[in-house]
Amino acid sequence: MQYKDYYAILGVNKDATQDDIKRAYRKLARKYHPDLNKDKSAEDKFKEVSEAHEVLGDPEKRVAYDQIGKGYQPGEEFRPPPGWDSGFEFSGGPRQASPEDMAAFSDFFESLFGGARTGRHTRAHGFHARGEDHRARIEISIEDAFTGARRAIHLQMPKVTADGHVVAEERTLNVNIPKGVRAGQHIHLKGQGAPGHGQGEAGDLYLEIAFAQHPLYHVDGRDLYLNLPVAPWEAALGGKVKAPTPGGVVDVTVPANSAQGRKLRLKGRGIPGNPPGDLYVVLQIALPPSGSDKAKRLYREMADELAFNPRASLGV
Amino acid sequence: MPRSPQSMPPVDVISDEPELSLDEACAACGLTREEIGAYVAEGIAEARGPVVEWRFSRLTVVRLSRARRLERDLGLNPAGALLALDLMAEIERLQRRLALFEDEG
Repeated sequence: MQYKDYYAILGVNKDATQDDIKRAYRKLARKYHPDLNKDKSAEDKFKEVSEAHEVLGDPEKRVAYDQIGKGYQPGEEFRPPPGWDSGFEFSGGPRQASPEDMAAFSDFFESLFGGARTGRHTRAHGFHARGEDHRARIEISIEDAFTGARRAIHLQMPKVTADGHVVAEERTLNVNIPKGVRAGQHIHLKGQGAPGHGQGEAGDLYLEIAFAQHPLYHVDGRDLYLNLPVAPWEAALGGKVKAPTPGGVVDVTVPANSAQGRKLRLKGRGIPGNPPGDLYVVLQIALPPSGSDKAKRLYREMADELAFNPRASLGV
Repeated sequence: MPRSPQSMPPVDVISDEPELSLDEACAACGLTREEIGAYVAEGIAEARGPVVEWRFSRLTVVRLSRARRLERDLGLNPAGALLALDLMAEIERLQRRLALFEDEG
């Protein structure tokens, strides 16, 4: 197990006041809080910062940590001397971190202060309570939301073993992705959170839906956006062109005199629902390559025959 | 050790339907009645009228537990936690909009 330098994690000096520590913690917590920062790395960082604060923010734990950590360097192999905590008093007062956060703390923390938790569990003997709810964010494809799907998702949940250690337990759940689900919605799996205490029932699992980046479509609520390349003559003269949609290829009528970026709405072709979303086709005028002599001739002909100044609106 | 996939748990999309009583909401998010009351006073829920008539949607319950975590971890009060959640939602909405334009370049 590696020694952790909690002072370095919070970015404070060893002689920092309790107020300095609190300020440093709050600042980092605002930056990395998993409810505010969706990066996976932010969550790990937040756990580290919470753990450092749990120790340094509590004067009793801080004194013990300072004593035990003398001479250790961060990352150095660490082994607490037997009976090291006999000279320290721990009041077991109110904790700053929640039980679910504490469960994710490092082995290093566990080896120093894990005993206090065991005590808490003993006190909880014969006590029944519902398990905590768990939350996770999952990425699904737009197609999954379009048709509904069954997906195996992999989740890691911290688990306290019988001897008080914390392990990350991986589990796989088969989840029905409901048709028409939108980004930011949560799906609720009853009884899939943390196990209950005593005979209490298990908590629930909430999965927040996010869409994975799609090569063709963008999502806004239930609406989809598709950039559709068209030839200049298709935009100018109008006509039927083919467009992919999650439900299959459709014919889109391009009106004559369409400008670059024109949005065409295919009603009800977005993500299903009541009402279903729309699919917006955004026309992107693509130029034919001018490499061949024939193409060059046609471009020159247009230049000669058409009085067209694309910069007229700029006054030049 | 990864476990083999479990049998299909029942799934429902969290609805906006106000269906939970105050005590059911307490059980679902681990907040006390007083803590939820403080959020109701800040206008988080559809709760109106006498306490026995208060109803909460599952979506509200998710928001409540998020707000409570922010309150605890960042030293906020309920109004500040709700403000943070509102701003986060707005940022996410804008980021989604931004993604529409960034890809067109």
